[in-house]
Amino acid sequence: MPADVAFNEKNITPKKKERYIVQTLKRVLKNKLAFIGIIIISIQIILAIFAPILTSYGPYEQNLAVTELGIGEEGHILGTDNYGRDMWSRLVYGARISLIVGLSSVALGLIGGLTLGLLAGFYRKIDGFVMRIVDLLFAFPGILLAMLIIAMLGTSLVNVVIAISIWSIPGCARIVRGSVLSIKKQEYILAMKSLGASDVRIMLKHILPNCTAPIIVFATMRMATAILSTSALSFLGLGAQPPTPEWGAMIAAGQDFMWNAPHMSIIPGIAIMLTVFAFNVVGDGLRDALDPNMELDL
Amino acid sequence: MIGLIVRRFLQLVLLLLGISFLVFMSMHIAPGDPATIIGGPTASASDLEAIRNDLGLDRPVIVQYADYLGGILQGDFGYSFQTGQPVTDAILTRFPNTIKLATASMIVAIIIGIVTGIVSAIKQNSWIDLSSTTFALAGVSIPNFWLGTMLILVFAVNLQWLPVGGLSAPIYTIEGMKELILPAITLGTASAALIARMSRSAMLEVIRSDYIRTAKAKGVKPRSLIWIHALRNAMIPVVTVIGINFGGLLGGTIITEQVFAINGIGRLMIDAIASRDFPIVQGTVLLVAAIFVLVNLIVDLIYAFIDPRITYN
Amino acid sequence: MKNKNLFQFITFLLITVFVVVGCSDKSSSKSGGTSNGGAPSELTYASTSDAAGLSPIDTNDSVSSNVTGQIYETLFTQDPKTLETEPLLAESYETPDDNTWVIKLREGITFHDGTPFNAEAVKYTFEQIKDPERAAPRASLLAPIESIEVKDEYTVVLKTKEPYGPMLAALSHTNAAIVSPAADKEGDIGKNPVGTGPFVFEKWVEGDHVTLKRNEDYWREPAELEKVTFKVVPETSTAISMLETGEVQFIDALPSDQLPRIESIKSVKVQKSEGTRVSYLGFNMEKAPFNELEFRQAVAYGVDQEAYVAQLNGLGTYNESIIGPKVFGYNEEAKNEGYPFDKEKAKEMIKENGYSGEKITLLTANRDNYMKMAEIVQSQLTEIGLTVEIETMEWATFLDTARKGNYEMTFLGWSNSTADGSELLYPNLHSDNIGSSNYSRYKNEAFDKLVQESRSTVDQEVRKEKLHEANIMAIKDAPWIVMEHGTVTAAYDKSVSGLVVDPTGKWSLYNVSRK
Repeated sequence: MPADVAFNEKNITPKKKERYIVQTLKRVLKNKLAFIGIIIISIQIILAIFAPILTSYGPYEQNLAVTELGIGEEGHILGTDNYGRDMWSRLVYGARISLIVGLSSVALGLIGGLTLGLLAGFYRKIDGFVMRIVDLLFAFPGILLAMLIIAMLGTSLVNVVIAISIWSIPGCARIVRGSVLSIKKQEYILAMKSLGASDVRIMLKHILPNCTAPIIVFATMRMATAILSTSALSFLGLGAQPPTPEWGAMIAAGQDFMWNAPHMSIIPGIAIMLTVFAFNVVGDGLRDALDPNMELDL
Repeated sequence: MIGLIVRRFLQLVLLLLGISFLVFMSMHIAPGDPATIIGGPTASASDLEAIRNDLGLDRPVIVQYADYLGGILQGDFGYSFQTGQPVTDAILTRFPNTIKLATASMIVAIIIGIVTGIVSAIKQNSWIDLSSTTFALAGVSIPNFWLGTMLILVFAVNLQWLPVGGLSAPIYTIEGMKELILPAITLGTASAALIARMSRSAMLEVIRSDYIRTAKAKGVKPRSLIWIHALRNAMIPVVTVIGINFGGLLGGTIITEQVFAINGIGRLMIDAIASRDFPIVQGTVLLVAAIFVLVNLIVDLIYAFIDPRITYN
Repeated sequence: MKNKNLFQFITFLLITVFVVVGCSDKSSSKSGGTSNGGAPSELTYASTSDAAGLSPIDTNDSVSSNVTGQIYETLFTQDPKTLETEPLLAESYETPDDNTWVIKLREGITFHDGTPFNAEAVKYTFEQIKDPERAAPRASLLAPIESIEVKDEYTVVLKTKEPYGPMLAALSHTNAAIVSPAADKEGDIGKNPVGTGPFVFEKWVEGDHVTLKRNEDYWREPAELEKVTFKVVPETSTAISMLETGEVQFIDALPSDQLPRIESIKSVKVQKSEGTRVSYLGFNMEKAPFNELEFRQAVAYGVDQEAYVAQLNGLGTYNESIIGPKVFGYNEEAKNEGYPFDKEKAKEMIKENGYSGEKITLLTANRDNYMKMAEIVQSQLTEIGLTVEIETMEWATFLDTARKGNYEMTFLGWSNSTADGSELLYPNLHSDNIGSSNYSRYKNEAFDKLVQESRSTVDQEVRKEKLHEANIMAIKDAPWIVMEHGTVTAAYDKSVSGLVVDPTGKWSLYNVSRK
């Protein structure tokens, strides 16, 4: 988004916008839970970026001599799995996968949702058609939609990203369409139209910025759902495949060792829970800070 | 009102038509041939040809789809590739279990969700509020496949209070109720959390509203104020969440049914996808989507009843 | 162990959470654990999937066979311990010439629906299996039979085009069980099965369970068990928990990873014995460099099967022979004819032949032990200088892809349900079957000839010799590298006795009882 875009048209200067962001952030940080969430997410980002530095074993490095070590045994902070792979490094590399999958699927979903939502809201003629497609996507239970897409495309993380992003489209499209409908009737938009501003320009420069707040909240919450769904698909054997250190796949693999090595599934389980929790609380905090009355179809 | 219902039903039919087309096509495009699954690894090329012919898979996809639609118009949803059973029978055998599970989870979710939501709204910003908010957010964050296994290990295997899996006893017996407890908690936790969150914010909004303040000023007792006046008004958005969630629950039973060995629609669907049993996949998807849309329609209608100000255009 | 502590901690945490939330279940606290369920004359068995159907003619999967094996009977059967063929519904047989089998049937047996068991029933069943219209999945079992004649009420004569060596093994196969002609003509025996076996079909709730009851009019002594339930439990860990709490009494095909847990359950007994299943790393012989012997040898030297087998908690054994120790045609000599693990030699061969850094895709189905094999083999082959990428597929897609030959290397297994070497080598490695079950697309005329002879010879000693020769040839050629020979397993409640799992993984509940 260009830097000179204002949050509200009329006469908000970039400086005011800056103040608006700072104030929002301050409000978010005041929220205790959201604060914790931000810390968790930051830690995860650091882990993901510096994974190679933070680990002394590769995530795929097997050592069949030291399998199923417990927490803290023989220099493995979080123990090892059934192939003697270091759980800590798998966990850390898993953080990378979760973030990448989450971010890319949300980003793709947003692109799709924004496009559909803008078009539907702006052009009355195609509104009905586009929104029926959105309804159709909505009527599919998410996990099922993902399963169908994966059956069609094959089991891999990339396809999981595609499946989950498609599943984010309807929610986003509805939010954007709603905002567009409420804004496009406003005088200044009508005025710009009569002045000959192109539709694309109006959409991108004036309408889109007005949807920013709900979209940010939506995207944050959606990260949580995306990470959770990825792991659920991996658990069902449809997502990341071993030996990829994806957390859901790690839980699924660890289930067979519940008895001898419970840490194999408990640790990734806690990791998923914390991450998803963090995105949820931050999303919640953002919503409260931006607009407590915001309604979201999640 | 009647016009609305009729219009929505028409939309539902169109929607289901679209879904059936999408599912039909995606299953046919998907790699993996039903014939190789039925024939097994030893089947020869001519065996496979015979199986495909038997299932009608050697015809053009469009013809197959038209045939399928024609069947549906006569109430015939086709036959399972794997077992030869009519799709309607396969679904009817399993549907009661899924309904049981979804209903039980919803009850768990509503009770936990509304109570926590209200308590934390009344005691806003207290430690109770903080902990129940934390609980609610943790609830939506727990992977339910993980929760399910943990519950089995703790309550069924270690403590042996509850059975591990299956739904075999009738629902009205104690055994039947006990079988439902763990799966209902597993499936209901996420919904409980959502309901709690929604109840809390709806309650807060109502409590702060003018008429409650007026009632307070008139000397209505705080307890009846909350339980009668505030709650009723706060329930409108909560009903929506419950409705949407119930529709979603039916699609979300897949994992819970898998973990707890419950013979329901979700498992039928995942098995059918894995074995490329097209008629079963189409039948179950249509069913789940239809229920989802219908539940949403009902929610909208309830909404219109509760709050006559709402209009649909 | 530290892990136990962690586990207890989590247990504690979960309990606290649920008590705090107030949903601890009061009604159930009174029972001190579910009793080891079911009346003593009943048995519940859990499997991960449902039967596809209950007709032996129209099914081909082991789950269905487990059920149909209790309801129907075959003309011959194999002793579960020795795998010697002995008559069951047949009384005796003779072979006046190499192409004629005269089988005398037992008299006075009736099907569950009252239809008499006789030569007509056998003729009817076999003709149904061979009928192309019926498209029976195991039609190949009886394909060499040209005609089935009823000589008298209790004598059938089978005529073959050319001598058919594995005839008795084929007639012992669960899918060659005799069905009631009346029941099959009038109704669907896939839903309402009617056989002569020790158990009578009672009810099938699809996707959930099948129940059978004792056949009181069985032609031998009636079975001990009065009622048998086959229950579907998709998650093995759930099934094990149910075994522990007594909700089921018997599970089989135990996953190696769960074995320590099962063995730690006090009320459960585990049975393990050598099986006929062979799992292998297969090459696509139509693609370079997999069509070069040196390359396959190098890979064979580079794979350390012992390291893999060591991960199986005592299940599975390794031996270089493709025909396993429990399969007809095995000869001790074969077990050292392959290419034993030798990392240095493998590295050398890779370097000498210019294969260094060669990029290989290892196609793997995400079920059974294939993922485990792939993970271990990938890391072993990386060490000898190859670059290996694992491509995972779900079973349906995998079968399609492998059958079309769109792969380089893959893992597969073969459960030999007749325990006869011809039934292993012919479908999997004979060039007749390229494009169908010969996934490796192996083509070797000398080998083909030996396998063909092993099928068309009736003298069992000669057959054994031919199979041995063919086996050695395949081991040397290495279209497959054996990963393991399977172990058949079962775990059951200690109250269960008399259960024997044969090397093909089959079992009968006829002699099973509960105390």
